[in-house]
Amino acid sequence: MAELPGKALAQELIAESRAEARTTPVEDIIVATRARGLDRDAANRLIGRLWTLERMFYYIYGGWGQGLEMNDFPPSVKYLFSKQIVDESTHEMLYMDALIRQELAPTQKQVFRHPYGMFSVDSALAYYVFSLRNLATYAHPIRIAALNLGPKIVEFAWMEALTDAIGDAALKETFAGQKVENQSHINMGRRIVEEFVAKPVDQEMARWACRVARRDYRRFLHELGDFVLQRETPPPPPERVRVTD
Amino acid sequence: MLKVDHERCTECRMCYIVCRELDINAVYVALDPLHRIEIDVNACTYPGCTACLMYCPAEGSIVEAATGRSVVPPPPEAWAEQP
Repeated sequence: MAELPGKALAQELIAESRAEARTTPVEDIIVATRARGLDRDAANRLIGRLWTLERMFYYIYGGWGQGLEMNDFPPSVKYLFSKQIVDESTHEMLYMDALIRQELAPTQKQVFRHPYGMFSVDSALAYYVFSLRNLATYAHPIRIAALNLGPKIVEFAWMEALTDAIGDAALKETFAGQKVENQSHINMGRRIVEEFVAKPVDQEMARWACRVARRDYRRFLHELGDFVLQRETPPPPPERVRVTD
Repeated sequence: MLKVDHERCTECRMCYIVCRELDINAVYVALDPLHRIEIDVNACTYPGCTACLMYCPAEGSIVEAATGRSVVPPPPEAWAEQP
């Protein structure tokens, strides 16, 4: 079998994301959870924000889906994307069920209006969401490289550690149950990059998109850590871009 | 009391969506990795509410727990107004 053209790139992106996943702002939440557990209000703040992000994936993927045309990629690529949409929807439902179970509010409509579940445009969460949505105009393998071999790998690592630290059985299962799907998204990303990101210009673009997605995801995680632990720490400094033209 | 027949359910989630929309919240996603749709019998108000039966597209996928009788498509009494 011929060597897949994007194999080295996929390995490179995975290695970079794994290196970044070793320390994330969620680490402080994990340490606090191990030390004194996650009280109900803190758990609701955590799940509320993660739910807000998950439901925004309907918006992100809606934009990405519009960029897919007939016969531009084999059906397997589109099948995998549709599976990812369903999985993301499942995770959104799991978070919503958890919020109702933990009595953040009695109904979904009230959770939408609750400060823990409300979407705010002036937030790192929104910054990350719009950053991903902006990839709608890029080729599908580029945006899959950015998300599935970037933030998804970072998320996989912190979620595994957090699951381990949580004592509450139902809350633990809310996170543990996502593992299979999240792993499949990473594997799918690897496969698509290996097969379809072949040209040097595309490979460079995938590197850039992955770096940007990881950076913006970390910004969201920083905000999440502060929100859950009810503190204020300085956000990561904005990246300086040298304009050469 | 209702339950989901997983041999027939297509996991389309229409029942989940309509149940949430009506603020009953009886339909939920199971926490195990299969993430199948289940009905919380303590929250379900059947036969007072039959909305999930109206939206379910998969024949036989919601049944009465006690008798096993399929209620999809909804039987005639499901269309009658409940007291």
